[in-house]
Amino acid sequence: MAADMPTTFFGWVVFIINQYGSALLQGAGVTLMLAIVGTLIGCIIGLLVGIVQTVPVTERTNTGLKILNKIVQFIFAAYVEIFRGTPMIVQAMVVYYGSMAVFDIDMSAMLAGFLVVSVNTGAYMAETVRGGIISIDKGQTEAAMAIGMNHFQTMYTVVLPQALKNIMPQIGNNLIINIKDTSVLNVISVTELYFASKSAAGVYYRYFEVFFVTCVIYFIMTFAASRLLRYFEKRMAGSADYQLVGDPMADPTGIFPNNTKMGGK
Amino acid sequence: MATAKKQPILEVKHLVKYFGEREILKDIDFTVEQGNVISVIGASGSGKSTMLRCINLLEMPTSGEIVFEGKNILDLSNNIALYRTKVGMVFQSFNLFSNMTVLQNCMASPVTVLKRKKEEARQIAMKYLEKVGMEQYINARPDQLSGGQKQRVAIARALAIKPQILLFDEPTSALDPQMVGEVLGVMRELAEEGLTMIIVTHEMAFARDVSTRVIYMADGVIVEDGTPQEVFGNPKNEKTKDFLARFTQNA
Ligand SMILES: Nc1ncnc2c1ncn2[C@@H]1O[C@H](COP(=O)(O)OP(=O)(O)OP(=O)(O)O)[C@@H](O)[C@H]1O
Ligand SMILES: [Mg+2]
Repeated sequence: MAADMPTTFFGWVVFIINQYGSALLQGAGVTLMLAIVGTLIGCIIGLLVGIVQTVPVTERTNTGLKILNKIVQFIFAAYVEIFRGTPMIVQAMVVYYGSMAVFDIDMSAMLAGFLVVSVNTGAYMAETVRGGIISIDKGQTEAAMAIGMNHFQTMYTVVLPQALKNIMPQIGNNLIINIKDTSVLNVISVTELYFASKSAAGVYYRYFEVFFVTCVIYFIMTFAASRLLRYFEKRMAGSADYQLVGDPMADPTGIFPNNTKMGGK
Repeated sequence: MATAKKQPILEVKHLVKYFGEREILKDIDFTVEQGNVISVIGASGSGKSTMLRCINLLEMPTSGEIVFEGKNILDLSNNIALYRTKVGMVFQSFNLFSNMTVLQNCMASPVTVLKRKKEEARQIAMKYLEKVGMEQYINARPDQLSGGQKQRVAIARALAIKPQILLFDEPTSALDPQMVGEVLGVMRELAEEGLTMIIVTHEMAFARDVSTRVIYMADGVIVEDGTPQEVFGNPKNEKTKDFLARFTQNA
């Protein structure tokens, strides 16, 4: 057996890819799934919490709603502070073992993983969404109200489309962070990339070589995600110019025909 | 015809507004009749914007009444959003929705608030964009327009809810001088068509020539309220005289 063993670094890398390539890729798949689903659900949570946190209370709001609002605001604020203020690795332990001890729920490690990533991302996104909403020019909200929109309609048609566009980079950022940070879920034995790597490395005690491969896989995932998001951001920006409608200058048969080669440079 | 039936459509009674400890509006009283074009003039800080914003409830009055079509809209039972579809507002800083094209800006309220079908809303929007001469620019985004163009779109957007009164807060103050004319031209046309308007302005020539009434405000009080001839030609109050003298010097 010893004769078959590689002797160089690259020899080991090739050996590990052959032996554990599919296990590592499977781990990478789990990592991606956790990161993407967690980010998506986290965004939805963040959106809901952020929107509720910016509901205005005026003199005209009735007392019952005011009290309800106070309670909900307190709960949401506590949620955001607690999940931003504790490490995800600890949250994973508390959720996974706590659900068993306190609620007698036998949650799978995977489910606990999804839960922790989503709820954690939600706490960060809530702040991002809140900031995004607050940063939209107050004049536009007033203009929306002045043409008869209520708060909900104003949010839906004017504020959120702009806020969401502005926080797109932050959503992308969260996805990249999640691709990397789901590695902490190995403490509750979620078989994501880090966990798969640790298992593979343990067999031949080739930690450096295995984690070198792991490193490359993580980087490919985050880099691809970052490029993809950049592309979507560009697509969302819209065109830089506009066409006049019914303008003689834009008319192909007009004085400046723009469908011939004349103006082309 | 419009002059024949002069019924009050809006009555402001004993309007008081505090910001914290400061009393910004002190017992404002006036009545708007159908077809009135009222110019509100006065020094900076006299409370003109605050009064206008109170009328369409962007600021909540501290006390007093605003009676529209016989109902006090400050009663808690009244639907503010519905009231605002009847009292439109045009802002100094345009405030176009930057996530929408010119056409979408003008369709927003017919679609979202008045629940019109898309095609019908489009026709309404086009009608008013043509009125302000912006029908060629329907595909442009607000940041691609000049100030004068933005303000004309903002006027079309406000008209698209078919308001009974349109409020203007210094609609030309943020514009370069050469663009003031195009916006005032649109407003003059609206005035001639009999639209009821309240216009806070520093354009004295416009106030004198176009409005049917001029209100002069100082320190949160209406000091003068009369026809342009009365207020410009023969002001009763010393403050008004001083204010107008300063303006004619600059002109
Ligand atoms: N939201 C606010 N909070 C506190 N004070 C305010 C607020 N809005 C306006 N004020 C104050 O109320 C006073 C009147 O302001 P307002 O904007 O109504 O004046 P204006 O007559 O429209 O002046 P201008 O010609 O400069 O637009 C000012 O002293 C201003 O500082
Ligand atoms: Mg003002």
